[in-house]
Amino acid sequence: MKLGYQYLVNHVLAFLLIPTAIAVAVEILRSSPARWNSFAIDPIHILFTSFLAVFIATVYFMSKPRSIYLVDYACYKPPVTCRVPFSTFMEHSRLILKDNPKSVDFQMRILERSGLGEETCLPPAIHYIPPTPTMDAARGEAETVIFSSIDSLMKSTGLKPKQIDILIVNCSLFSPTPSLSAMIVNKYKLRSNIKSYNLSGMGCSAGLISIDLARDLLQIHPNSNALVISTEIITPNYYKGSERAMLLPNCLFRMGGAAILLSNKRRDRSLAKYKLVHVVRTHKGADDKAYKCVYEQEDPQGKVGINLSKDLMVIAGEALKSNITTIGPLVLPASEQLLFLFTLIGRKIFNPKWKPYIPDFKQAFEHFCIHAGGRAVIDELQKNLQLSAEHVEASRMTLHRFGNTSSSSLWYELGYIEAKGRMKKGDRVWQIAFGSGFKCNSAVWKCNRTIKTTSDGPWQDCIHTYPISNLTLADTQKLVEYLQDKLGVSAPFDVVIDDVPSNSRIATIKVVRALTSLALKEAKKLIEGLP
Amino acid sequence: MEEAKCSRVKVESILSVVSGKPTEPGKVHKLSMLDRAMGSHTIHIVFYYASNPFLDGPMPSDLGNLRITLSELLDEYPYVTGRLTCEPDNGEWLIKFNDAGVRMLQATVDATIDEWLGSADGVEERDLTAWEEMPNDPSFWSPFRVQINKFKCGGLALGLSCTHMHTDLTSATMLFKAWSEVHRRQPPTHPPIFDLPPPPTPTPPPPTPSPLPTTPTKMATATLKFSPAAVDKCLSQAPADATPFDALAALFWRRVAAQAPTKRSLSICVDSRDPSQHAPAVPYAYFGNALKFSTLTDDLLSGGLGQVAGHIHRHVAGMKKEEFSSEINATGGMYGGAALTCFNAEHMAEAESGRGIMYDAEFKKGERPVHVSYSVGNVGREGLIMVMPAAEGGRGRTVTATLPEEQVAELCRDQVILDFEPTMILCGRRS
Repeated sequence: MKLGYQYLVNHVLAFLLIPTAIAVAVEILRSSPARWNSFAIDPIHILFTSFLAVFIATVYFMSKPRSIYLVDYACYKPPVTCRVPFSTFMEHSRLILKDNPKSVDFQMRILERSGLGEETCLPPAIHYIPPTPTMDAARGEAETVIFSSIDSLMKSTGLKPKQIDILIVNCSLFSPTPSLSAMIVNKYKLRSNIKSYNLSGMGCSAGLISIDLARDLLQIHPNSNALVISTEIITPNYYKGSERAMLLPNCLFRMGGAAILLSNKRRDRSLAKYKLVHVVRTHKGADDKAYKCVYEQEDPQGKVGINLSKDLMVIAGEALKSNITTIGPLVLPASEQLLFLFTLIGRKIFNPKWKPYIPDFKQAFEHFCIHAGGRAVIDELQKNLQLSAEHVEASRMTLHRFGNTSSSSLWYELGYIEAKGRMKKGDRVWQIAFGSGFKCNSAVWKCNRTIKTTSDGPWQDCIHTYPISNLTLADTQKLVEYLQDKLGVSAPFDVVIDDVPSNSRIATIKVVRALTSLALKEAKKLIEGLP
Repeated sequence: MEEAKCSRVKVESILSVVSGKPTEPGKVHKLSMLDRAMGSHTIHIVFYYASNPFLDGPMPSDLGNLRITLSELLDEYPYVTGRLTCEPDNGEWLIKFNDAGVRMLQATVDATIDEWLGSADGVEERDLTAWEEMPNDPSFWSPFRVQINKFKCGGLALGLSCTHMHTDLTSATMLFKAWSEVHRRQPPTHPPIFDLPPPPTPTPPPPTPSPLPTTPTKMATATLKFSPAAVDKCLSQAPADATPFDALAALFWRRVAAQAPTKRSLSICVDSRDPSQHAPAVPYAYFGNALKFSTLTDDLLSGGLGQVAGHIHRHVAGMKKEEFSSEINATGGMYGGAALTCFNAEHMAEAESGRGIMYDAEFKKGERPVHVSYSVGNVGREGLIMVMPAAEGGRGRTVTATLPEEQVAELCRDQVILDFEPTMILCGRRS
């Protein structure tokens, strides 16, 4: 019944036009040829009409916004020597904060619930006890992350440095002089008439702001391309104090970066991976609470850090609602929009107690890339948008493998979906990012060609181990110990598995692992091997 | 007269190095009784290289290159990156494989290698392997520490320090050798084994008397290098089948006993990993403590050099025939606690060349360590004599003696020892 309704409404134009066209055609055929001659058609009229048609067509094509294509992108893969396991992080934390055991406990609790795995990376300066965040070290990290990403991108696209017309860099917390964009111009010897921009201080959603800026510039400049670099440099921003609200970023933010190549050139159209459809930016900064909810300040000891307020989730929810209200009409099929309109009118006029209708965005998009800000963010969005576990898998797994890499996390997520071979031609992707300000920005892409899984990229060596179960490793171990304690059993013991429906596969793998101490691969094989 | 000199070693920074691959969570390793008995001691090994092998590599800094191969090595040694924990109910010590990593210290030395080897003494050399005592809660204390010390001449000293609970001198040396193999991209010659099969018949361990509590004595260390000719001269006085260890142990015992007549017994420490035996009790690649201790009493120790050497030889042969048991019932202070201890490292000499395996730890092909220093922490006042194979191979040996200060001074002036023309290094500024 619902499907019938959707089909009817979405194709309403077709349903109206086809009978009308048939009626007109029938009418014309029925009318006698004599009536045709009464229309005094002479050559002048025909010429005039055709000129008019050509004129209208030209005006239409000229004023249509240029199509912007994403040719390719590359994400930075940190070296394994930068890996920071939980135990090392906690050990360093205890050694550095030895006078503040409460802060150390707080960090431990945050890490356990964070959704981060054991392979996330911090830059070398932070590995020291105590960390040594010098200007040199920060520049070193910037060079390593940015130049590696650009080198990978140039290798995969064949882009030459002198071909870059526009360069946009966004890095929120590290803004040296000369800027990071100048650093890139210097390293790659870019042209002297390059249009370079450096966006700083704009938070985790700055990646999509850069895309928006690139899009606007590519409207003005024909036949050009734009290189966008999204990154966050961790070295100078490690909070050295002990205020709990300001220790959170230390626990969650990790090294990462991405380089993206956009183009409006006709010849890139066939090679490009995606076409940019919409960018929607929502800024809630006019509201004081939203403005102050992610605030850089000094703690009582004078140490600078970023304070995250307790209202963060609520404000993020409001910002998302705003963004959805704008993007909804642009992407949702007519069926969903009508339903939303009806419930809105109904609530206003008839009964305010009607549940607000949440449009089903799964009909507008095949893939979702939600900024991997933290487990809580992903959980909230999954609930609000009524997404399944598979839709948010890219976000969760990016958070696990790479941590919160700020503005570049959306690109790691997109890379995950491609590495899993799920990106087909025509698929629509929705990237949502949140950031200080408070901002919620969205980008909508359409896949231009089916993307084959390649042997490079940041996921190449670990994609086969993903997705992992929702239980963190610490949770699994605790569960085993609890079972051993309470039930007096010791693993392994016999478990009979009759049937595993596909939607509870992950839950079952969790339980199997917990009960039998099997490694994840074996547990997965066991479940998948069942008839 | 003691000069109060400040150390020429300056520690610049501390960081942690972790393995490249995460370890499987939840695994633990139980320490044996032998491991716990050795727990009061610490091991300090320093490998001296003429040039810094880490300057070549993909990373711009030598520390960067070092970390890449050390991380790779640590993938195979989750034992080394784990943390100690004590079970509250039964007092057992466990190593939790929690992936926390090893501590790495960077230091600079205000001297060239030659100056250092000529003028530093055991106490100053300890700065090359800076150690932190285990706190009450060892869960965030790293039992293994690697220190990279840069000399003014561009030479490098790599220091490894660890508790004797986790490993003994042989396996610590093997760890370093494995690292050099990883660095040279060669397959490992001895992939580590961490667990031994349980002993076939659990024999009740005989209780060994705990050492008498003594006032802490200031110990000093001296290293004497005996050339193959000198060792041969010594062996000429001993029975035909005596090994260099037997002869040198006998020599040193007699000289130390001559100065300190209260010494009545000699403890011999033998490693059960002897590859020359047909079926060694413990595989060579075992990572952990595989030592056997046995004491020779007074009556066997009187007599000439040859006689004592002969007794020692027979005693060592007897020890090798015994089964290895990791269940020793002893309380700490195994080295020098109750008696002067002699450490037999004949098993660390390569079969053909006689060169010590520690001198095969080449990080750059063709560049062997210039010298390898061994030192043990918390040696009891009776002292410890370690007879290690030398760099040049053959029957040359390097003897490191850790004894109370005055005894070391006497030993270095002893005419009988000087007759063998040893080269003395790391004895402090002596002329």
